[in-house]
Amino acid sequence: MDFWLSYLTLASIYVLLGLSTNLLVGIAGIFSVSQAAVFGVGAYIVAFFLMNDVMSFLPALAIAAVCCVALNIVLTLPALRVAGDYFVVTSFGIQLLATAVFTNWTGGTGGANGLPGIPPADLFGKALEDTSSETILCVGGMVLGCLVFWLVMRAPFGRLLRAIREDELAVAASGKSVLRAKVSAAALAGAFAGSAGGLYATFLSFIDPSSFDLDSSILLLTMVVVGGARTLAGSIIGPFLLLALPQILTLVEIPTTIAAAARQLIYGVLLIVFMLFRPQGLAGEKL
Amino acid sequence: MLALQLLCNGIVTGCALGIVAISFSFVYSTTKIFHVAHAGVYTLGGYVAWSLLAHGFPAPVAFLVAVAACTALGALIQTGLYARLERRRATHLVVLIASLGVLAVIQNIVAAVYTANILQFDLPWGAKVFTVVGNVRLTVTQLLTVVCSLAAYAAVMWFSHGTILGKQIRAVASNPFLAEITRLRPRRVHVYVMAIASALVCVPGVLVPLDFGLQPYNGITPLLTATIAMIAGGVGSITGAFVLAIVIAELQNMSLLFIPGEWSIGITFFIFVIFMLFRPTGLFAAAR
Repeated sequence: MDFWLSYLTLASIYVLLGLSTNLLVGIAGIFSVSQAAVFGVGAYIVAFFLMNDVMSFLPALAIAAVCCVALNIVLTLPALRVAGDYFVVTSFGIQLLATAVFTNWTGGTGGANGLPGIPPADLFGKALEDTSSETILCVGGMVLGCLVFWLVMRAPFGRLLRAIREDELAVAASGKSVLRAKVSAAALAGAFAGSAGGLYATFLSFIDPSSFDLDSSILLLTMVVVGGARTLAGSIIGPFLLLALPQILTLVEIPTTIAAAARQLIYGVLLIVFMLFRPQGLAGEKL
Repeated sequence: MLALQLLCNGIVTGCALGIVAISFSFVYSTTKIFHVAHAGVYTLGGYVAWSLLAHGFPAPVAFLVAVAACTALGALIQTGLYARLERRRATHLVVLIASLGVLAVIQNIVAAVYTANILQFDLPWGAKVFTVVGNVRLTVTQLLTVVCSLAAYAAVMWFSHGTILGKQIRAVASNPFLAEITRLRPRRVHVYVMAIASALVCVPGVLVPLDFGLQPYNGITPLLTATIAMIAGGVGSITGAFVLAIVIAELQNMSLLFIPGEWSIGITFFIFVIFMLFRPTGLFAAAR
């Protein structure tokens, strides 16, 4: 029972991350391998506030989300202003830099040992001690995230984003600011990733740099690619399927020393196969 | 004295990085693909050489086999993946994601076969130390790296300006459409480019780990630094990429005097941001 609850909780958190990655990669068309870095910043901020008893969970989560929005704007704005593949470099650079900060800034992040003993989330003065209430919180967060995503995509802003993916030049010619729309999408993606980070930190009560490295970013990208770009269904299917993969792998007899590599290898193969044969993913639209 | 030693180390790393930058720039300016998987080719070269040396093959044989393996891998990535995607008119983003997939596959196959631990080369002659000027000490491998990199740079310059194939490649790079109608067969040229660039990246791929050891996930940082050098030097300029790679490596090494080494990625990235803000076309950008 506990296993299913924690699977559901983690999957909900990853759906939020999937939505975030989908906004950035699928909808705004910005290649990104730094989503895990933003996720990590959210997680560390919430962990810091809760561990030092500065404030309760919800305001901490709000601050984390705001910081991640600001971070994503700062990251995407300069790269999008100049044409070319500069955002690829920015994205890799931010991810490597974030890993360096998470690992080496021992004072703030606990370094490679991570931060143990993060208190559980609390709502309106009541701490959520057991797994089931944590699960309800995370599922609630996921539903809220999906609702926001759905509403945004139905709004004129969502239509604008879709139009940009079809023909950027035509959108610019009709007097809309492409740059502003893309940066707004990135900002929203930051809010999702930051909140997901906060939920993740309080649910696991332990975070370390390995959860927020390049491999995790690749996992997030794989989730969106497998699930399908630009749709709500795709952002939900991907995380649920790929989080089940490690469990399936435990059924196959592979030595534990290569388990991590085998998992990442499968993500890589999935990326190639889907790009070659089904770039729209299982339930998505044209990438 | 430490400063002088760091200066020399910077030149060594810079030369090796320069070759990574040149080879990446070669692919990028011709095929317009941001070939992230290049980091995987770089990693694989070192591991192939290591395996052959561990089985008792002489060093030159190991090196040549590694180059051959990288060449084949590069051509395979182009024909098996990039060319197919191009035929399907895949968007830029799709190609980029596929390339990232290839990188993940190569790195993790290597990690599964050789484990993720650092592997050291066992070459007694490579660790022999020369004292250059004053107290500056360089190992044989470091000297070899500089010599081989400069030779590779000269070879690329000669190849791209003095041979027919080199000129064809530049023609395809500057105008693929015109190249197509003048029967230069851009698709075939792209395969050559990937093969040559992969062979080229194998040179630092083998030489750098001689000093620092091998790790499956170690290709990304050099590739990132090399792409920054390429952008800062001006895309399409071979000399620009090579010179800027040395400059960046120097700045990284000199920064060790003030900042601990684990932050050097920050220095690299800072250089990139400065360029992006003030001179996004790079220093040696060709007039367009």
